[in-house]
Amino acid sequence: MRKRMIAAMMAAAMAGSLLTGCGGGSDSQTTAAAAGGSQETTAAAASDQTTAAAASEAAAGEPVNLTFIFADGDEGCKEAMNEIVNRFNDAHENMKVTIEPGIGGSYDEFLKTKQSVGEFPDVVEMRTPAEYVRAGMLEPLSDDLVALFQSTIEFDGKTYTAPLSGENTEGIIYNKKYFDENGFTEPATYDEFIELCQAIKDKGDMAPLVIGGQDIFHIGFWFHKAYNDQVLSQDPDFIEHCYDGSKNFSDPAFKATLEEMKTIFSYGQDGWVSTPDAQITTFLVSDMAAMMYSGTHMFSNIEAADPDFEIGWFPVPSPDGKMRLVGGGGATGLAISAESAKDPDKKAAAEEFIRFFFAPENYVVYCDTLNFTPTTVAEIDSNAAPILKEVIEAVANADEIGPMWNARVGNEELPPDFRNFVYKTTVEVVQGQRDIDSACDEIQKTWDVAVQSFNPVTGVGIE
Amino acid sequence: MTKKKGKIDLTATAFIAPAFILFTLFIMVPTISSFYYSFTSWDGISPKVTFIGLANYKEILTGGRFRNALKNTFLLTLFISVLENLLALCLALLVDNVKWWKNFFRSAFYIPVLLSGIVGGFIWKIMYNYNFGVVNSLLNTFGLGAFKQDWLGNPALTLIMVGVVLVWKGAGYYMIIYLASLQSVSTDIIEAAAIDGASPWQRFRHIILPLISGAFTINFTLSLINGLKVFDQISVMTDGGPGFSTETIVYLLYKVGFSEGRQGFGTAVGVVLLFIIIVLNTIQQKFLRSREVQL
Repeated sequence: MRKRMIAAMMAAAMAGSLLTGCGGGSDSQTTAAAAGGSQETTAAAASDQTTAAAASEAAAGEPVNLTFIFADGDEGCKEAMNEIVNRFNDAHENMKVTIEPGIGGSYDEFLKTKQSVGEFPDVVEMRTPAEYVRAGMLEPLSDDLVALFQSTIEFDGKTYTAPLSGENTEGIIYNKKYFDENGFTEPATYDEFIELCQAIKDKGDMAPLVIGGQDIFHIGFWFHKAYNDQVLSQDPDFIEHCYDGSKNFSDPAFKATLEEMKTIFSYGQDGWVSTPDAQITTFLVSDMAAMMYSGTHMFSNIEAADPDFEIGWFPVPSPDGKMRLVGGGGATGLAISAESAKDPDKKAAAEEFIRFFFAPENYVVYCDTLNFTPTTVAEIDSNAAPILKEVIEAVANADEIGPMWNARVGNEELPPDFRNFVYKTTVEVVQGQRDIDSACDEIQKTWDVAVQSFNPVTGVGIE
Repeated sequence: MTKKKGKIDLTATAFIAPAFILFTLFIMVPTISSFYYSFTSWDGISPKVTFIGLANYKEILTGGRFRNALKNTFLLTLFISVLENLLALCLALLVDNVKWWKNFFRSAFYIPVLLSGIVGGFIWKIMYNYNFGVVNSLLNTFGLGAFKQDWLGNPALTLIMVGVVLVWKGAGYYMIIYLASLQSVSTDIIEAAAIDGASPWQRFRHIILPLISGAFTINFTLSLINGLKVFDQISVMTDGGPGFSTETIVYLLYKVGFSEGRQGFGTAVGVVLLFIIIVLNTIQQKFLRSREVQL
């Protein structure tokens, strides 16, 4: 009998400890429950007043902790984000933002994984906001936050993202000293660009282009350029037409995109497929490659790697002679989790963080470190490098500007991850594993499956 | 759970209940519910779940991407099952027979097992790097520059290179099982065979090998299951590429489920994988068990 009692007590203790373990998030559950109760109050009263009251309440009471995730693949980005978060934490005794390690390469997958295990952050950098808006996971930004920006992208009349920067303009970043020593000049046409690549290849002392083919997003820089040249130049609504079935991926313009990719990538360095994007700066500053094609965020990386490196920059025109560049505002940016916003204290703290982030004295750190163009109404006292001013001028004078093909919204929004399938298939084409016709067939098959569950034209997967 | 017919043993029930409840909640319920989700077009985020019948399974049977992943998975599994066990057996024989530094060798061969798949994958990814990796640098140093390869960029080689990393990581674990089995073989039998004039090879082939066949069954089963489930190294080293040349079934499942927002299809892939593992494992068990020798 005694044995049985001891056994029963031990079993009860074990079950208790296990249940305690299961309730590891009990704090957050309590908070969520409390937030649930106060949500009605929030909805009933004017939200701004409620959050302002909550902010002052938070300031007087328990500290409010926020988690923050951003795509931290880039060193400059990490540096700038850490600096601003540290400043925020120093300036706000009762609010604390904690950066959770993010990932640069496959950020969308990373976020979905976080979401699936219940660790979606309170404040998050959104790269693909549309699907999260549709899933009800993001909180609309208040009017006073939206008013901070020159322009924002709306979904059904509401803004969910605070744009971190103007769209990252890609162009050729090159070794100016090498160009000067060898009499190479910036090309004025696409054909001259190819001739330049050939001339450097013939010279044989370094690769004409360094390509970070291991990171799929880097392939995307080039792919967008080719797609812009061949497809968007002829049909800006190509994706919408693929959704409505009037066009498909066997279109001659799309085939020409893959052909252009083959041509350009033939000038990449040996081993480009397995070279990560983080390594391409090393190639450039170590005289292993003459040029790279990337965004303006690379300027600071190159300067950090070799302060004496002479950077040159030029945009590559389309084969038809027009200048088409990535630029203008986009849908990506900082967002607040809808779940987190159920707690008025957290919502107030998240809004305060975004307000603080985009205050000119803080936002300048982000823009200058990453060489990004600002998006705020308030002007920042930027120490932008002359080369960035050159980019800004090129964007201003371009024939066409717009976001990357995979960053568009509305009827031009791509099905989830479709771009990665296209990039991987493009790599197969460039490597000779597939011919262009078979690649187009595979892409079309994947598209056909994808549109069964996502089609903004018919509304499937949107509602 | 009953002592006598119809009488429940409360003590045993109390001990089993916590584990049973947790196992049911976190293993059984998700497993069973995954069968349901495999018949839906759920995107993994939204609360809306639409029943689509056998459409996911039809796509699995007709889609080229699944076939490619299946081929890659089988090739990789075959490669690592054979090489891991061959290497592990050699290492176990070496450690069993070496006169000096026995513990050192045992530890040295086991160290890769202790590294996480992610860390090991990163180390090898750096070593394989075409321009800065130690593999190509060594080839250059020894005048073998002509054999330099883009180890993780050449689609004809990448799967093998990933397989090498898996063998390097797994062999130490299987070595321990072989070693334990080797050490359980009675020295009396070996000595008797030696006195009867059996050569070292004959002793190994006709006495030791049959007596350690139980270890073969365990190791081949484990390496088969591990081969079918490879994920970490693929994720870190190749991301399934170049193109789709190293995309395995588990990696495809992850990609479609978490990247492409097609949890329903991803779950169907998982269900198919479950049946593949059951079928292969049953065949393997039948074959290997029939060869086991009991003393």
